[in-house]
Amino acid sequence: MTIQAPGGLQGPLWRAIAVFRFASLAFVLILAAGNLRAYDRPYAMIPVVVVLVGWTVAATYLYARPRLRRWPLLTADLLITMSVVLSASWVVGAGPLSRGTPSLAIAWQAAPVLAWAVAGGRRRGVIAALLVGLADLSVRPVLNQASLTGTVLLLLAAVGVGHVARLSAIAEERLQRAVRMEAATRERERLARDIHDSVLQVLALVRRRGADLDGEAGELARLAGEQEAALRALVGASPAVDGDDTAETDVRALLRPYASGCVTVAAPATPVRLPGPAARAVAAAVAAALDNVARHAGAGAQAWVLVEDEGDAVVVSVRDDGPGIPAGRLAEARREGRLGVAQAIRGRIADLGGTVSIHSGPRDGTEVELRVPKVGW
Amino acid sequence: MIRVMVVDDHPMWREGVARDLTEAGYDVVATTGEGRQAVRIAAAARPDVVVLDLQLPDVSGVEVIRGLAASLPRVRVLMLSASGEQQDVLDAMKAGATGYLLKSAGSREFLDAVRRAAEGQAVFTPGLAGLVLGEYRRLAASPPPAGAAPRLTERETEVLRLVAKGLSYKQIAGRLGVSHRTVQNHVQNTLGKLQLHNRVELTRYAIEHGLED
Repeated sequence: MTIQAPGGLQGPLWRAIAVFRFASLAFVLILAAGNLRAYDRPYAMIPVVVVLVGWTVAATYLYARPRLRRWPLLTADLLITMSVVLSASWVVGAGPLSRGTPSLAIAWQAAPVLAWAVAGGRRRGVIAALLVGLADLSVRPVLNQASLTGTVLLLLAAVGVGHVARLSAIAEERLQRAVRMEAATRERERLARDIHDSVLQVLALVRRRGADLDGEAGELARLAGEQEAALRALVGASPAVDGDDTAETDVRALLRPYASGCVTVAAPATPVRLPGPAARAVAAAVAAALDNVARHAGAGAQAWVLVEDEGDAVVVSVRDDGPGIPAGRLAEARREGRLGVAQAIRGRIADLGGTVSIHSGPRDGTEVELRVPKVGW
Repeated sequence: MIRVMVVDDHPMWREGVARDLTEAGYDVVATTGEGRQAVRIAAAARPDVVVLDLQLPDVSGVEVIRGLAASLPRVRVLMLSASGEQQDVLDAMKAGATGYLLKSAGSREFLDAVRRAAEGQAVFTPGLAGLVLGEYRRLAASPPPAGAAPRLTERETEVLRLVAKGLSYKQIAGRLGVSHRTVQNHVQNTLGKLQLHNRVELTRYAIEHGLED
């Protein structure tokens, strides 16, 4: 069943059908009044008019209730309309019909087709159009272009309206999804504000009070500081937006999550953009460098990440205050085939047409600088 | 005795900071949790240094700094924030703040920052240095208005980059073979030029829009 959920964007379509019913009823009554003398059985027109008017009013009343827009009503609508169409062969008669007197339902017979198209989409609209069209053709004594036109128009209307109905259903679904997402985002922002005003402040206070203490208290303060940084990154992160993988990405946004109690990320206030793959490769290289700091520079080592936009290139440096790499150590590692992290970083950045330089001194710690050009992408 | 005012909307934090300052020998002349109130109180309390939380519930840090500077031209503002270095930190520094510190800094680091701010020294975090570097690059890249954009000398850029990479002034002095005092002056200059440029821009804006006082 593809009957759409009630209300929403389909409401106007149903109202338009109601207007169409009354307008087409007026047209039918005017034509019938003009042609009444030509009919074989003019008095038989009285019950037909009662049905026409009665069903127009009843259908409008019933279709106005979204709960009732289901197959019982749609089927009744179709059957009543078809019976009016078929009655033309007896009321008007074969003779007048073949002389060009119009049949009875004319435009009015399109109403159930439109209703089926809105409720069930293109395919069900076409089914209704074919049924009404067949009934219409069956009362016509001769088949010619003029008598076929009505059915063709019904089919086209069914396809067109069915398509519009489907589009409105899709639009409505998207709208509802957007509304839900907006509500979720608002809630998230509210939570972020609350956390910022309460939890983060307390954690920062604990960190501050205990930062200079030794032993367990100092350890607790350090843990509080780490949690504060993690929580701040969590509530500060903007919700993920699915986008193009190759779209330009703000390198800062990818590096910020690495900030913690022992990692500081310094960057400009404005976005530092690189193509998506390049930005992610830079972030991966920074992650590798920070991982290396954590493993080799000793516990409690601090690291600083600096992001700079030089216009034609993006420069990211990672420095630590560890003991540094002893002279010759890199060369030694290379000889032993343990190329490790430095090589992984170099590989990644070279693929982007960038360069890597590594400085290390016994007192200055180790500094890895990545330079990635913005052009050539 | 150096007079200090603490402005922070979190009472626990405010009390903690005030206690630390008192213990360290500072005269805490006022504490408040609101920006507008801070501006009013400061006119009477006449603090030398204002320790200012950047995220206040009522007005922005920039507005508080402007308000303070209007009644106390010589006041030093040390900003604190919990949420890292962003545009609002840069804006507040350009508006005339003397220094910036993260709330997660330890007590010793905080007291040291207050002392330096009271002396009129610029207090930089690595994050702030990154912002200032970025701001100079942005100014250099954007189409120049009538006045020339401020520029950093090569040495100033070098010093700022080292600050942003977490080196202490002492380490920077050692690496560049200059005195601690020289490093300090370079950092101070980078901020001074930015604040001057900001004032010129504001004045130009005021004249162009007929808002001159």
